[in-house]
Amino acid sequence: MAPKLPPSCATLPSTFLLPSSFLPITAKRGIKYGWTTANPRSKHGRFNQQTAGLPQLSQSPAAALERKAKTLPLRTGVLAIKKGMSALYDPETGIRTPCTIVQLDRVQVVAHKTREQHGYFAVQMGAGWKHQSNVTRALLGHFTGQGVSPKRFVTEFRVKDESGLAKIGSLIGPEWFSEGQFVDTRSNCRGMGFEGGMKRHGFKGQGASHGNSLAHRLMGSSGPSQGGGSRVHPGKRMPGNMGGQQVTVQAVKVLKVDAENGILVLNGCIAGPKGCVVKIADSIKKPWPNVPGIVGEVPRMKTAPTLKKAVAA
Amino acid sequence: MASTSLSFRPLSCWTSLLRKSPSPLQKTIVSSRALTTYYKPKPIDAPFVPKKKIKAFPPPSSFRAHCKEPIQAVVTSQIALLDPTGDRTTLFSKANPEAAHVGDILLVRLKNGDPFAGVCINIRRRGVDSGILLRNELTRVGVEMWFKIYSPNVEGIEVVQRREKRARRARLTYMRKPKHDMGSVQNIVLAYQRSRGALRGAAAGGAVGHENKGGKRKVKAKGKR
Repeated sequence: MAPKLPPSCATLPSTFLLPSSFLPITAKRGIKYGWTTANPRSKHGRFNQQTAGLPQLSQSPAAALERKAKTLPLRTGVLAIKKGMSALYDPETGIRTPCTIVQLDRVQVVAHKTREQHGYFAVQMGAGWKHQSNVTRALLGHFTGQGVSPKRFVTEFRVKDESGLAKIGSLIGPEWFSEGQFVDTRSNCRGMGFEGGMKRHGFKGQGASHGNSLAHRLMGSSGPSQGGGSRVHPGKRMPGNMGGQQVTVQAVKVLKVDAENGILVLNGCIAGPKGCVVKIADSIKKPWPNVPGIVGEVPRMKTAPTLKKAVAA
Repeated sequence: MASTSLSFRPLSCWTSLLRKSPSPLQKTIVSSRALTTYYKPKPIDAPFVPKKKIKAFPPPSSFRAHCKEPIQAVVTSQIALLDPTGDRTTLFSKANPEAAHVGDILLVRLKNGDPFAGVCINIRRRGVDSGILLRNELTRVGVEMWFKIYSPNVEGIEVVQRREKRARRARLTYMRKPKHDMGSVQNIVLAYQRSRGALRGAAAGGAVGHENKGGKRKVKAKGKR
């Protein structure tokens, strides 16, 4: 039996009897996860120096902007309402061109996003009109602060630099685009609701006969059985909600520009039902259009004739 | 075993003690939360201060209010360009009592290519995109052709023969069935062209009047062969 220490030993003696320098030094483990006895890495940047001939790390916001510089448009796009489709004929050649007709409605520059404040350059565009009783107080303050009427649709168009920031409050009409130029359109496509695999992903379905019963349009097996893991792989295409997501159509030709009526006639079809909002911007796959509107100042846009009369009266 | 280890290292109980006891060098910091905000109940009889009303700017003039039907605007401008005389429009206009209807035998003359004749079994009215579907039999094979009535390639459309009774359907798709198939309309068209030629010869450049047979019409008075 070992000798037991008296209980008085359990308490530390007073400080003057046992100064702290006499106490054993316990190892200080400051590293959060695990610990190491190696020297701290003092020269971790020596492999990534600019002189090392290695590519510079491109993970900064500035580098991100630089990467985007080639694809960001020089000027803002517009918001339009899809009105429907028709066709144009070339009187000489007789060639028929199906076209989509969109109309611009009170498209105005609402605000700017700047590199200093927000980290990137963008133009906030608004279209349509909303009664002020239908706008929240915060949003109304935003519009009024910029001197713009409340807008029904608001969106952002990124631009390359501050020269693309059109003046706040400037009205933009269809002559923002020129006939023959190419644009990209973005709009929400028609929503189909919950759809099966055949319609949603083009699955084949199953046979009409040979003993098939009530399974003609089913997707069939959703994965291998035991041996294959007995599980459904992530991303397996299945029935679900179809449509209603944004679809971009690139390089759409502008066939006609009607500044009187605010109409743009675009080549072919664009996504979405009639009455949907379409974002139209200069095509990123074609050379930028050479228009004076790029440099800050918005060219004098034609306003709808009704206002002219109203102002004159 | 524990007892033996204790006997070997009698001071081992010290280590745990020393480790657990707070070192006198380390000061125990009792963190206290700074109360930057605190709940202050509203006074019961606080005066009601209404929020300042935000003024809304009036909307600018609207293209939408000015042009309510943009499609119509584009279509009318296109029709004015493609059909300046208005003949194509009137031939298929519903307001025109002498308009062509389904069931009539129509002859379409083309700018490049042979003329095509057939029974009209469908008129698709879509403004400038309107078209007609003609059915005929060529070399004993049924042939159907769509023609856009405003297409510049269509030089003219003539009514060769009218249907005796008005068709009671908008689309005469049943005429594709063998029971109702008209077969070739070549003979009717040839007879029509012969009579036209004879008439032309007799009139010799005189005014082309209304023909004897139930309202044959010429859409375009372009030089017929």
